[in-house]
Amino acid sequence: MTDQTLKTHSEDTAMLHEPGATGGAAPWFAVFKRELALYFRSPIAYGIGFAVFMILGVLFNAYLASANGQATADQIPSMPGLITFLMFLIAPLITMRLLAEESREGTLEVLMTLPMNESQFIVGKFLAAWAYYTVLILLSLIYHIILSSIGIPDQGIAFGTYLGAWLYGGAVLAIALIWSAITEDQIVAAFLGAGTILVLYLAEAAAEVFARTNSALGDFVRELGLRSHYEATMAVGIIRAEDVLYFLLVIVGALFITTRIVETRRWRA
Amino acid sequence: MIEVQNLTKRYGEVTAVNGVSFIAKPGQVTGFLGPNGAGKTTTMRMLTGFMPPTEGKATVAGFDVFDQSLEVRRRVGYLPENVPLYRDMSARGYLMYIGEIRGVKKLRERADEVLERVGLIDRADSRIRTLSKGMRQRVGLAQALIHNPPVLILDEPTIGLDPFQVLELRSLVRELGRDHTLLFSTHILSEAEQVCDNLIIINQGKIVAQGAPAQLRESLASGGRILMRLDKEPFAALDTVRAVAGVAEAAVEGDALVITPTSANVDPRPALASAVIAKGWKLTELRPLAVNLEEIFLEVTRREQSIALKAEMEAAQTSAQEKAAK
Repeated sequence: MTDQTLKTHSEDTAMLHEPGATGGAAPWFAVFKRELALYFRSPIAYGIGFAVFMILGVLFNAYLASANGQATADQIPSMPGLITFLMFLIAPLITMRLLAEESREGTLEVLMTLPMNESQFIVGKFLAAWAYYTVLILLSLIYHIILSSIGIPDQGIAFGTYLGAWLYGGAVLAIALIWSAITEDQIVAAFLGAGTILVLYLAEAAAEVFARTNSALGDFVRELGLRSHYEATMAVGIIRAEDVLYFLLVIVGALFITTRIVETRRWRA
Repeated sequence: MIEVQNLTKRYGEVTAVNGVSFIAKPGQVTGFLGPNGAGKTTTMRMLTGFMPPTEGKATVAGFDVFDQSLEVRRRVGYLPENVPLYRDMSARGYLMYIGEIRGVKKLRERADEVLERVGLIDRADSRIRTLSKGMRQRVGLAQALIHNPPVLILDEPTIGLDPFQVLELRSLVRELGRDHTLLFSTHILSEAEQVCDNLIIINQGKIVAQGAPAQLRESLASGGRILMRLDKEPFAALDTVRAVAGVAEAAVEGDALVITPTSANVDPRPALASAVIAKGWKLTELRPLAVNLEEIFLEVTRREQSIALKAEMEAAQTSAQEKAAK
């Protein structure tokens, strides 16, 4: 390269970009966009979508056939509710790659030397996972549309069910993301994520055992679990502020923990 | 401008970087030279804000690396060792991703400009996984340049390249050094000598020597050890050489003799030459041992090691004496 080109280069870049100047969108948005695009380019996203809708399709068909046109509004199967059950498997598959891959490949080192906080990076990643999940939930609206065309489903219950499933998914994804930050191994992250979510899902069963000896402890464990904030309330159309708050707090708390883990990993690296 | 004062990094018991101080000036290439595991990467990671120092202070472009990390990161372009990249992205896509996080304006034009500069514009749309090692290295370099930073930190940028690519990259580094503060690390001595204006030799976490390559060569060569070659079996000449005035010690290394003078300001070379000629032997080589960086480096690191060894032995001795006293 000649001196001439070098000179023009420095001149116009000096105009173009003052060091320290910021323009365009926030850093988290760049991370979000890349990750979301990656979901729709990767086979795993389509694999998950295929598996979920195959299961839902079969069950939906079976319900419709067994109801034989006689079901009342509260007997109609809740497809988003089924998704929330399946989430103990789906969520870790969605999130396992997000942070584990970055630290294994070493790309985290470049990202952590960019003018971006860990929290922005992690929020971008999480929102991409949640957005992918949102697409799954929106696609499952097809069952509601089918129901509406052949009967009169309760719109209030449907709204509560879908909103709840959406929040539930966010919380569970945030929990699964913690494990992706802890281990560099995606498979390990997925298994531990599935285990954690299952424990929180089954907290209600444990709560019953505790309640026999200590009712306060039983209540506490039940409220910690995921199901008591969804199945008994939102899934039957009751939208309570405390349940919405529960899911939002789980999201914020899990993201905070993830941020801290990435920070300490970097400090010890 | 990079100013480093007494920078230290400890991992539990292990001290990776121990009280390092130096200044890297704008418009210069500052080389960080040392064997693998000397603490080069750790120092660079502290300077880029990737990890905090345990002790000491460092400012990059006038900002403290710990307290004003984000300001530092805005002004530094960093190419880590092993060049981590997203293999599924195109070269241009990757640059635009990094540029977007950095808030670079007119991003697409800037990405193409940088790709042009590293000579990769014709492969801009290729997936990174399909690029050769040398091309990936250049993508990594382009990433470090995307926001036109005043400070560039490149960690072993020539590692794993073929000789032709190494030459290309070195000339690029030299060229970039003219309008940046450029800190670059290597364990290849000839490279450091060719590329750097200022050289810092680091070993076991400590700076053992620093200065311009020519200056280093001079200061370390004088008063250093002497290498002598004869047309004769070196062992046979050992006694004769040891008897020469000003010679403290002589040893055989390969087919040559290595002579240590009694003190740094004694030059026994004339006396050595006359002694050899008096014996009727032919002298084929007689020079200070440390004439190129390779030898300076070995000298300096060896000296450090022998000092450390001595200290260790002394410590062991005193502790043994203490035990005996008890």
